[in-house]
Amino acid sequence: MTYPVQLLELIEEFREVEDQMERLEMVFEMADEVVAFPVEDWSDSTRIHGCQSEAHVQVRLDDGKVLMAGGADAQLVQGLMGILTIAINGSAPAQALLLSPEFAQEMGILNSLSPSRSNGFRNMFDKVMLEIRGLVE
Amino acid sequence: MAIRDDFPILQRTVHGHPLVYLDNAATTQKPQVVIDAMNDYYTQSNANVHRAVHTLAGEATDGYEGCRNRLKSWFNAERAILTSGTTEAINLVAHAWGRANLEKGDAIVLTEMEHHSDIVPWQMLAKERGVEIRYVPVLDDFTLDMEVYEASLEGAKLVCVVHTSNVLGVRNPLERIIKLAHQFGSKVLIDAAQGVPHDRIDFDAFGADFMAFSAHKMCGPTGIGALLVRPDTFEEMQPFMGGGDMIETVTIEGSTYQTNEHKFEAGTPRIAEAIGWDAAFGWMESLDLEHEHKRMLEIARYTATQLRALGMTVYGRHDDSDSAVVSFLHPTLHSEDLAHLLDARGFAVRTGHHCAQPLLHRLGISGTVRASFYLYNTMEEAEMFIAQVKKIVERFA
Repeated sequence: MTYPVQLLELIEEFREVEDQMERLEMVFEMADEVVAFPVEDWSDSTRIHGCQSEAHVQVRLDDGKVLMAGGADAQLVQGLMGILTIAINGSAPAQALLLSPEFAQEMGILNSLSPSRSNGFRNMFDKVMLEIRGLVE
Repeated sequence: MAIRDDFPILQRTVHGHPLVYLDNAATTQKPQVVIDAMNDYYTQSNANVHRAVHTLAGEATDGYEGCRNRLKSWFNAERAILTSGTTEAINLVAHAWGRANLEKGDAIVLTEMEHHSDIVPWQMLAKERGVEIRYVPVLDDFTLDMEVYEASLEGAKLVCVVHTSNVLGVRNPLERIIKLAHQFGSKVLIDAAQGVPHDRIDFDAFGADFMAFSAHKMCGPTGIGALLVRPDTFEEMQPFMGGGDMIETVTIEGSTYQTNEHKFEAGTPRIAEAIGWDAAFGWMESLDLEHEHKRMLEIARYTATQLRALGMTVYGRHDDSDSAVVSFLHPTLHSEDLAHLLDARGFAVRTGHHCAQPLLHRLGISGTVRASFYLYNTMEEAEMFIAQVKKIVERFA
């Protein structure tokens, strides 16, 4: 899988860390990268269903480029949102759609990418991709 | 030799740390004898049951029916239908008994404490048959409102109640619940998925009409469970799933059915799983379960007390008859974050709504972290768990 440069650098950074807790702490710190999505705008249509935490995303195009905003009550989910933000925000939709979710496994953050009710990341990733597709169709 | 030495999985590490498995209310680990029994079946005796006359078929049939016989003797029950688990057992009651015996105007009594598997089948049946569902509320002390329960029995044909809550660990006053239901002429189904692993039940003396439970929550394999049924109620059940093994004769005009439990076990059953479950019972037979229950409960009480001291809200009471389940929440650290951080140090706990959303709604929360202890867990593990939670809270909360 070819990833955008900024994501490749991040994957490398995560791989250098051996301790899982330290790695999770790094994900938590990524929460700051998320473009804020005010709680008052959260609705059922922005909600990431099947996610244990209360998490919402909104995707739109800004000057033809992807702009994802989001928020979650769990730090890990918000951090993963931050990583996704780094990966796709500012990209052309067609380029963003090339991204596959395996990077979360490659970074050693998640042990499973199977869609399930415990996998907030996968549900978030699928929703964001679906919304990008909706914007360009 | 310690109990935990029988469990090979407990030797593994997770993220470089020894595994501390505290997700036993979801599923338990398997002792070597269970793994060996299933392996032996597939390497030595694999065949289909009940029909062929060859040696392997005889061994497979004896193994499968051996599990049924064990269930009957362990629980003192006359009828034991093998199912895929608790969920299928409850659905079987809904289809095989409910459809034949419930009609518009009848009522089913459930509680707010039920697992989804003891709610959804009844909602589906209620929609189909126009049956009313009444819910017994949970009080602030995590017990059922028995006054409302008693008042809800008029016109009820079936009471479905969880033996022990998978979220709270609270054991319900089942003897009283069953007695009152029978006074009103209602049948009683007990969801004993969390009860059976902690409490050796005499089904006949217990008095319930149906009892559903799973093997995998008591050191047996996944994919198998049972429905115990009182003999008179068994006669009121109509076949639900048609196919091989459940029939006596089939002609193009119609079919006649078996009269025993096979009537409800259409198709090739879970043979290896039954043999594995039988081995789990055999393994448990050597333990003093009453003593082990007390020991597990002490660990749960210690854990609950320590978590409260760390500022957590603990949902449960840990009375003598309750199970060793500790559900808790930190005021600021999200349950999912806490669970991931614990996993990073080898601790396996469960988070989320635990398939009991109405109960969590009643408690005003969307999920908890749940540590649940079983036979192989030790006080040392609980102490390690508390020390780790403390470190995480200090670093991340």
